[in-house]
Amino acid sequence: MKLLTHNMLTSHVKGVTKGYPLLIKATEVKVNEVEFNPQFVSRMIPKLEWSALVQAAEEDLPGELVADYETNEEFLKKVHRILLEVEVLEGCLQCPESGREFPISRGIPNMLLNEDEA
Amino acid sequence: VTNMSSQEDESAGGGSEPAEPSSSPSTEIGTTSGDIITVTIGATVPTGFEHTAAEEIKEKIGVDARISKDRGRVFFPITTDKLFQVHLLRSVDNLFVVVEEYHHYQFKESKEETLMELQQLASTLPWTNALEVWKQNGTLKKKKGHRRGGNTAKSKPNCEGVGGSMASTEQQELPQENSAPEGWAGDTQAMETSTQDSDETGHGSKLIKFRVTCNRAGDKHSFSSNEAARDFGGAVQEFFQWKADMTKFDIEVLLNIHNEEVVIGIALTEESLHRRNISHFGPTTLRSTLCYGMLRLCKPQASDIILDPMCGTGAIPLEGAIEFNHSFYVAGDNNDMAVNRTVNNICHIQKRRADKGSMSGLPIDTVQWDLCSLPIRTSSVDIIITDMPFGKRMGSRKKNWDLYPSCLREMARVCRPGSGKAVLLTQDKKCFSKAISRMGGLWRKQHTVWVNVGGLHAGVYLLKRTGSRSCTQPCHAANPSVFFGLM
Repeated sequence: MKLLTHNMLTSHVKGVTKGYPLLIKATEVKVNEVEFNPQFVSRMIPKLEWSALVQAAEEDLPGELVADYETNEEFLKKVHRILLEVEVLEGCLQCPESGREFPISRGIPNMLLNEDEA
Repeated sequence: VTNMSSQEDESAGGGSEPAEPSSSPSTEIGTTSGDIITVTIGATVPTGFEHTAAEEIKEKIGVDARISKDRGRVFFPITTDKLFQVHLLRSVDNLFVVVEEYHHYQFKESKEETLMELQQLASTLPWTNALEVWKQNGTLKKKKGHRRGGNTAKSKPNCEGVGGSMASTEQQELPQENSAPEGWAGDTQAMETSTQDSDETGHGSKLIKFRVTCNRAGDKHSFSSNEAARDFGGAVQEFFQWKADMTKFDIEVLLNIHNEEVVIGIALTEESLHRRNISHFGPTTLRSTLCYGMLRLCKPQASDIILDPMCGTGAIPLEGAIEFNHSFYVAGDNNDMAVNRTVNNICHIQKRRADKGSMSGLPIDTVQWDLCSLPIRTSSVDIIITDMPFGKRMGSRKKNWDLYPSCLREMARVCRPGSGKAVLLTQDKKCFSKAISRMGGLWRKQHTVWVNVGGLHAGVYLLKRTGSRSCTQPCHAANPSVFFGLM
C-alpha cells in the first residue's frame, strides 16, 4: 500500500463519523523506485489531505505547504518518494474512532467489513 | 450518442500495385537492395475501437489509417525504416503486411471456377515487398528478445503466487470478429496443404515452412474458407516450393475474404498481442487491447486518480499504469483470488522491467473492498474505469438489477462532481441504462462504443459526473426526479 492510496482510504464502519485518516501500523515496509515526474507530484499535492500525509509519513514534511512548491524540485522529489515509493507490505490500518483494525498483507489492505459492521 | 462501429472504406482505392510477371519463383527470400520501401500494414483491433486505433497510429506513426468495411481492421502505410514502430502500438491485436488488396473482387459463378482463379492468383501476386518486410520484421523480433509471452499457461509466477496461474482453457479466447452473431456465414479455417514432394529443395537454402489461414465472411460465396485455404495454399506452395506445416511455420499467409473485399497478407505477429500484460488469468480477463481502448476513451491526464472498483485480475489499471503512467491507479475487488492475481500480474510486469534495467515501480496499488461501500473519501477520484459483471459468465442478471444501482451510486459519491468521468463496460445494457436514469442526475451519458467481448455484444459507456452533489442517503427509485443539491 502506497501512502498516496492511504491518503484516500477511510474507515466506513457503521456509525463512525471521523474515520479519517486511518492510523498506519506497519510491520514491513519496502521502498520501490518509481520514475519521477514533477508535474505529477505538483498537480497531486492540491488533491491530497496534506496533514494526513504529514502524519503518515513520519518524516520531515512541513506541516504547511511552502509557497512556490511547484518549482521546488527537491521538495517535489521528497513528496514523490513518500507518495509513490514507500510501500507498506505488512501491518494494519486502524480506524481512529472505533479502533477497528484492517489488515494489510502482501501490500493489499483488506477493507472488507463484517456483516454487523456494515 | 451511440456510435455504431461499421465504417465505409474511406480510401479511394488502395492496393493497386501491378501484378508481377510470373517469372521463376525463388525459394530464397529477400535478395534485397536495402532500399526503403513503402508497404501497407493491416491491423486487427477490437471491434468498436477502430477509431481509437487510428488515433494511436496517427499519434505514434504519423500516418492516416483507413478503417476497413470489415469491422475490426485498419490499414495504414509505413516505410520499412520505421517498421519497428508498429510494435509500439497498444490498440492492435494482430499485425500483417498486405500483399494485395481487392475492394470489389468479382467471384466467378461456380465454386470450381472460383477456386481455380484463386490458385492462379498465387503466382501473379506482388510478393516481393511483403516478403522483404516479413524478413525485416523477423530480425526486429530477434532484437527485442521476443518471447512467447502471456498467452500460455506455462508462465510461472515471479513473486509468491497465491492462487497461481490459470490454465489457458479459462481464457475465453474469442474467435475473430466474423464469428460474432451478425447473421454472416463466416467461418475460419487454417489449412495445411498436402504434399507429395520431397522435403529437400536441393538448393541448400533454409527450407521455408508456411501455412495459409483463411477468414471468410459473406453469404454470397460459393466456397468455404477451408476450400479456399486449401487451393490457394496449394498454389502458393507450388510457386515458392515451401513446405506446408500447420504448427511450426515460418510464414503465415493470410487470405481474408469479406464479401467483395479480398486481402492477402503475411502475418507479422506470431500470436495475438492482446494478452501481453497478464500472466495470471482469471475467468473473465479482458484483453489488453480492449483495456487500452477504454483508457484512451477517458483521456487520462497527469495526476488523475483512476479507480477500478471491480478489477478482477487488474488488466485495465495495469495497462493504464504502463501506457498512461502520468496518472495513478487503484485496483480493487472484494474477491481474495482477484486481488492476489492482480498483485501477481503487477509483480510480473515489474520484474520484467527490472530485468530490462528500467525503474520497475508502477503507479498502481491494490485494495480489497466492497464496491457498494467503498472505503474512499467522497469526491476524491477523477476517473472510474471498469468491466462490470455481465451476468453471463459471472454473477447473474437478477443480481445485476440490485448491484448496478448501488455501485453506480457509490461510484458517483467518490467521483469528483463536475470534472469526473467514468468508462464502464457492460453487456447488460438494459439494466445499466435504467440504473443510470434512476440516479437522480448524477451521471450523464456522453458517448457509447459498441464492442464484442468473447462473442457477446457489449457497450463501453463514457459517462460524465455531473455537478450534482451525491445523496448522503440511499436514493429512492420511486422518486427518480428528485435532485439533491443541484449546482
